[in-house]
Amino acid sequence: MANKNIRALSYRKGLDDNLFENIAEVSNNKGTDTEFKELSKKYMVDDSVILGTSSFYDFTRKENRNKKIHICSGTACMVSKKQGDVINFAKANFNEDEIGHAACVGRCHTNHAFMLDNKTYSASNAESFNDILKNKSIQKNEYNVGCNTKSILTGPVVDIKSFYSLAENYRTLNEIAVNVLKTSKLRGRGGAGFPFWFKLDTVLKESADQKYIVCNADEGDPGAFSDMYLMEEQPHKVLFGMYMSGIIVGANVGVLYVRGEYPDSIRILKEAIDLIENEGYIKNFKFKIIEGQGSYVCGEETALLNSIEGLRPEVRVRPPYPAQYGLYGKPTVLSNVETFANVHWILENSGATYAKLGTDASTGTKLVSLDGRFNAPGIYEIEMGTNLNTIFNEFGKGFVEPIKGFQIGGPLGGIVPLSKVDALTLDFESFSSNSFLLGHASVVSIPASFPMIKFLEHLMEFTALESCGKCYPCRIGSQRGFEMLQKAQETHFLIDKNLFNDLLETLEIGSLCALGGGVPLPMKNALHYFEDELKSYFN
Amino acid sequence: MKTAFINNTSHEIHEGETILEFVRRVEEDEHVIPTMCQDNRLENFGSCRICSVEIARDENGDKKTVASCHTPISEGLYVYPHTHKIHRLRKNIVELVLTDYPEDKVFPENGKKATPFQQTIQQIGIPNVRYPEGANHLDIDKDTAHPYIKSDLSQCINCYRCVRACEEIQGEMVLGMSGRGFATNIIKGFGESFDTSACVSCGACVQTCPTEALTDKFKTKTLLPDSITRTTCTYCGVGCQLEVSVIDGEIKGIQAPETAEVNEGHTCLKGRFAFEFYNHPERLREPMIKRNGTFEEVTWEEAYDYIATKIKSIKQEHGPDAIGGFSSSRATNEENYLMQKMMRVAIGTNNIDGCARVCHAPTAFGMQKAFGTGAATNSIEDLKEADAIFLFGANPLKGHPVTGAKIKQAFMKGVTSIVVDPVKTKLAKLADYHLQIRPGTNVAILNMFAYYLIGADLVDTPFILGYTEKYQEFKDHVMSLDMDALSELTGVSKGLVRDAAIAYGRAERAMEFHGLGVTEHFQGSKTVMLLSNIVMMTGNVGRTGVGLNPLRGQNNVQGAADMGVQPHQGAGYLDVNSPEIQNYYAEKYQVAAMPKKEGMKIPIMLNAAINGDLKALYIMGEDTIMTDPNTNHSIKAFENLELIVVQELFMTATCNLADVILPASSYFEKDGTFTNGERRVQRVNKVINPIGNTKPDGQIIIDMMAKLGYNQPTGLKYNASKVIEEIADVIPFMSGLTWEGLGANGLQWPINESGEGTKMLHVHGAFKKGIGTFHHFDFKESPEIESHIDEYPFILTTGRELEHYNSGTMTRRTHNQDLLSKDYLEVNPKDAIKKNINDNELVRIFSERGSVEIPVKYSKNVKRGVLRTTFHQPDVFINIITGSVGDEETLTPEYKVVAVDFEKIN
Repeated sequence: MANKNIRALSYRKGLDDNLFENIAEVSNNKGTDTEFKELSKKYMVDDSVILGTSSFYDFTRKENRNKKIHICSGTACMVSKKQGDVINFAKANFNEDEIGHAACVGRCHTNHAFMLDNKTYSASNAESFNDILKNKSIQKNEYNVGCNTKSILTGPVVDIKSFYSLAENYRTLNEIAVNVLKTSKLRGRGGAGFPFWFKLDTVLKESADQKYIVCNADEGDPGAFSDMYLMEEQPHKVLFGMYMSGIIVGANVGVLYVRGEYPDSIRILKEAIDLIENEGYIKNFKFKIIEGQGSYVCGEETALLNSIEGLRPEVRVRPPYPAQYGLYGKPTVLSNVETFANVHWILENSGATYAKLGTDASTGTKLVSLDGRFNAPGIYEIEMGTNLNTIFNEFGKGFVEPIKGFQIGGPLGGIVPLSKVDALTLDFESFSSNSFLLGHASVVSIPASFPMIKFLEHLMEFTALESCGKCYPCRIGSQRGFEMLQKAQETHFLIDKNLFNDLLETLEIGSLCALGGGVPLPMKNALHYFEDELKSYFN
Repeated sequence: MKTAFINNTSHEIHEGETILEFVRRVEEDEHVIPTMCQDNRLENFGSCRICSVEIARDENGDKKTVASCHTPISEGLYVYPHTHKIHRLRKNIVELVLTDYPEDKVFPENGKKATPFQQTIQQIGIPNVRYPEGANHLDIDKDTAHPYIKSDLSQCINCYRCVRACEEIQGEMVLGMSGRGFATNIIKGFGESFDTSACVSCGACVQTCPTEALTDKFKTKTLLPDSITRTTCTYCGVGCQLEVSVIDGEIKGIQAPETAEVNEGHTCLKGRFAFEFYNHPERLREPMIKRNGTFEEVTWEEAYDYIATKIKSIKQEHGPDAIGGFSSSRATNEENYLMQKMMRVAIGTNNIDGCARVCHAPTAFGMQKAFGTGAATNSIEDLKEADAIFLFGANPLKGHPVTGAKIKQAFMKGVTSIVVDPVKTKLAKLADYHLQIRPGTNVAILNMFAYYLIGADLVDTPFILGYTEKYQEFKDHVMSLDMDALSELTGVSKGLVRDAAIAYGRAERAMEFHGLGVTEHFQGSKTVMLLSNIVMMTGNVGRTGVGLNPLRGQNNVQGAADMGVQPHQGAGYLDVNSPEIQNYYAEKYQVAAMPKKEGMKIPIMLNAAINGDLKALYIMGEDTIMTDPNTNHSIKAFENLELIVVQELFMTATCNLADVILPASSYFEKDGTFTNGERRVQRVNKVINPIGNTKPDGQIIIDMMAKLGYNQPTGLKYNASKVIEEIADVIPFMSGLTWEGLGANGLQWPINESGEGTKMLHVHGAFKKGIGTFHHFDFKESPEIESHIDEYPFILTTGRELEHYNSGTMTRRTHNQDLLSKDYLEVNPKDAIKKNINDNELVRIFSERGSVEIPVKYSKNVKRGVLRTTFHQPDVFINIITGSVGDEETLTPEYKVVAVDFEKIN
């Protein structure tokens, strides 16, 4: 494992006087080189560590420090074709170099999205944009919410105090709690679908002076805003899941790594944490929110851990897994927002009850994010195993324009042609057996009018921009893939099909993590299902 | 037996092995799977993916591609390292790499060795690059400002090996990566050049870099040398193994071999880069005799005859004890052995001493009193097992860089760390506890330390009762002391000492290291004995990961003492005063009798010269004038001598006062052995022929002995392996020592009859002297302070810098001088401001002995009232002001406490 020295030095000040937060603060305040170098001294690392980290993130790197407005460049906003308006509004009010981008701010349902003054907005006309500029007041992010089964995630928390008191029942019965979760067959909701109980069990059995619970709330997939929903509308479900996990494995700190593009989530979580800590609803447990600084790869669990530590968020090798060597090298339960949000219901209603929902291998419910190309975009809690067409029609209520396909499960998720929708059910197995990916179950619709080659260019560019740069296939391959897809649209250049296939194979089997490893899936789906549309770009 | 499969054939697997290690071991081929980012010395990283293999759970089962460097092998796994798919993957990755790599660097240059990257892509097969031209880093600026280390990042393949080597080998973080994705770039410090960054110039990055993105000025990695010779570094007591490349009889570059147990493929800027002194124009090349105040070149015969005649006449007139010899800790064991033998046998006096006198003599003395052996109890590799490190009066990051880097990493990773040092060194800053004492109060702080260990009941009573004596007296003494008074005296709070003592006491395995901050004091030997008490009372001796471990200063200061370069002990530390021992030596040396009288230590010899009792000095490789304290006193002594002979590489201050100068060969030009700080005897192998008309010190001594009437039994030609046979016969604890038996990594003494070495001494309480002895002492103020502090209210303490080796005779004649060309006086800014002195201003610093001029450097690393400087540069000549107080027992000079004052130069 690389960077053990830097990690250990960062651990000395740990989460209380966190290196990453300090770097972010100095960057956000347009700190001088001297201020950065003071940080090196304080943490007893060399300057390269501080520069290495600060130059990594969109919000902390020097060239972006004077950006005042960040316009959403996420996939859902891109296909909506509404962002041109926002760019024009912005140009009328800001210098060119003050306008930056953010890769999805979670307003995939309305689009016209941007981030300003640490808040997110949608503005569909110049008047409302100017109004936002003037008042900078909070604009509540509103969307449809529904459920087709037991509202495990979308039901209300009526009494917060008694909600948390459930944890006390398991304080001495931690192994039983693990068993309940095992019976529930709850799988990680971040995309990989790893059995949640197994992480708890591993960390429980590790002996260490310090253990951590880390919630991956870096919902970076453009098109996904279900974690945002949970943090903003159901924060106690998330916090309880982490608290309970802490009790089970013997960890007294829970870290929420929330992407910086979700400032409202951060504010709401802070309020929720203040409440439960001040009211004494939780005991011997501290929460810490770490605010992301604009990097998709931080959603990868090991990059996320490095990020919290103030190291460059480069993907670590595995093994060791975070359960053994996690945050600051300590045993860590690391899971997604939605996974944690399920814990209370399972412990309250039993694992068996939960397991009855959904399919045999994919139990429970899943939040689905539908983008703004649906007539009824929003967040829907759907029982696993439900037909996709049903969801799109009954909840999404059809589309605002003709659609030819969908990207489901984020930028690394498959491209599902309209014709395949009826063949899919909402569960891990149905998607993977059809060579797609359930992922985080976000749905971005691809309008019939949107060129598929441009969509692919966008995905490759996204990968190239967000690659941590550590492994060769992803660092160089995504750049070359992007260049070829771009060139093929601009000139008479034809992409060498064999070369492109070689590139996809290299990315898929050669990459260190799911970023480089995942981008070939939508490429291959598109080449397969949209061959006619794409063939003129290849030789 | 657990097994796994390679291409469906079953092989045994080892615990903790990666797939890469497994396949390499089975196939007995380091290159069986190509790699780029992997380096055996570094943590596995998994960036290049070139080492990918296919694996399956069943024979012909579903295959998965994994990087073999970081995937563990597991029982029953099927590994397919060379499938078509894998070959395609590797070639496709190389193709991607070549899209951002200079076309003209794909193949090695004419007459150059292929870089590891060039070798790897050859192995995989160099693909045609099919990608259209895209973004690249081919125009990135070169960085050539640093005297040794250069970068041309257009050739960088982003393998991170340099970044990882910087952190994981040297424990620095100068090299880093900036940006992300395709825009990632190697950076130095805050995006600067090697020259202005905090780079310590160790060259680990250059050695690991698989391309020529990082090179040294010698282009060492692509040399096609006529020969590569492994030898032992001369620059400190770590004893790094070096591989020296030679073309046409000239040294062209040095690398650190990975197979070296001591340095594991690493070394520092001195070992790696500071070799150019060897054929410097100023090298002494001919023997010279001073006639009428000027040196004239003479033949060796003439020089020898001149010396022999003089020595014989002095001996006749004043007796053999009117002649003294200083030996050199830079010379080999064999040469030191011969030197002491010349003094004792050919001249007939025990007046032989060496530079241990000015460094670790108190360690040898104190540890002999406590344990029975004056050498490190443990090995450096024990650092891996220690859970606490107690570093007392040493700055190994500067003095012992390779060991220092290991200690630093242990500190960073969170081992319990305690530093006692009047200077806030880098290690002190990293440590859990820094006891920043007033210089000279070591005994006081150790008494406090013991007091709190006893108070917290953190003593190992079974160990004390079982293996030691006189603990009760020590305890009674310590418990009677007034902690408030000692705290006041040392300037360290009681709470801090108590916490540090408790942390030390609670450690399972606490390892002590110390340096000259312990020994170069009025109470140096007492400090060593008290440190011995600390390790004994906590049972931290006789196990792995513990012990009392002096960081020996020079490369062979341990060896010189072992060989008998001491006035009171002969080869193997036998007492020269004992008639029995005298007979033993006489028999071994085949002479009628040995000198009866114990010899004089260096300071006594100098005094004797002033008194007229000493008439001649024969010096092998020491610049006494520059390195001994109170220069004017030394000069006075030298001027009173009838004969001064100096064997040297360069015209030193001492040479200037000599009557005869004999040009010696450097360590590159001869065979022999050096013994490092962990008692490891390692081979020095001749790399090139002697420069000019020089001769190895060993040859000169043999010639001289012959002229004085003693024919060395191993022959009149210096032959290290034959001298070793004689040493093994004379020194009981080296009885199994042979040239061949030393092998590539040497042996740690004691070396038994069957040629086996010893990693650890005093195992499980079996002290060499039978029982461990506690001593107890009161703190006593140094006479230097007592007599002079009122008039000279600042305490000056001296130390070393990384770039130079002691008086700098060698390092100043390399590009290390470009890295650091000055001695500085470190002054607390408040003290400087009070005297209206600016940073970098030249000041006059003076003591009772004299004054020198030196530039000031503001430094918060010294407390008010304390000054620190180095002694590398003759243009400052700091020893003009140091004093004559020495250790009460061994007379080792108190360089660490000098009463001074300083003032503006008007």
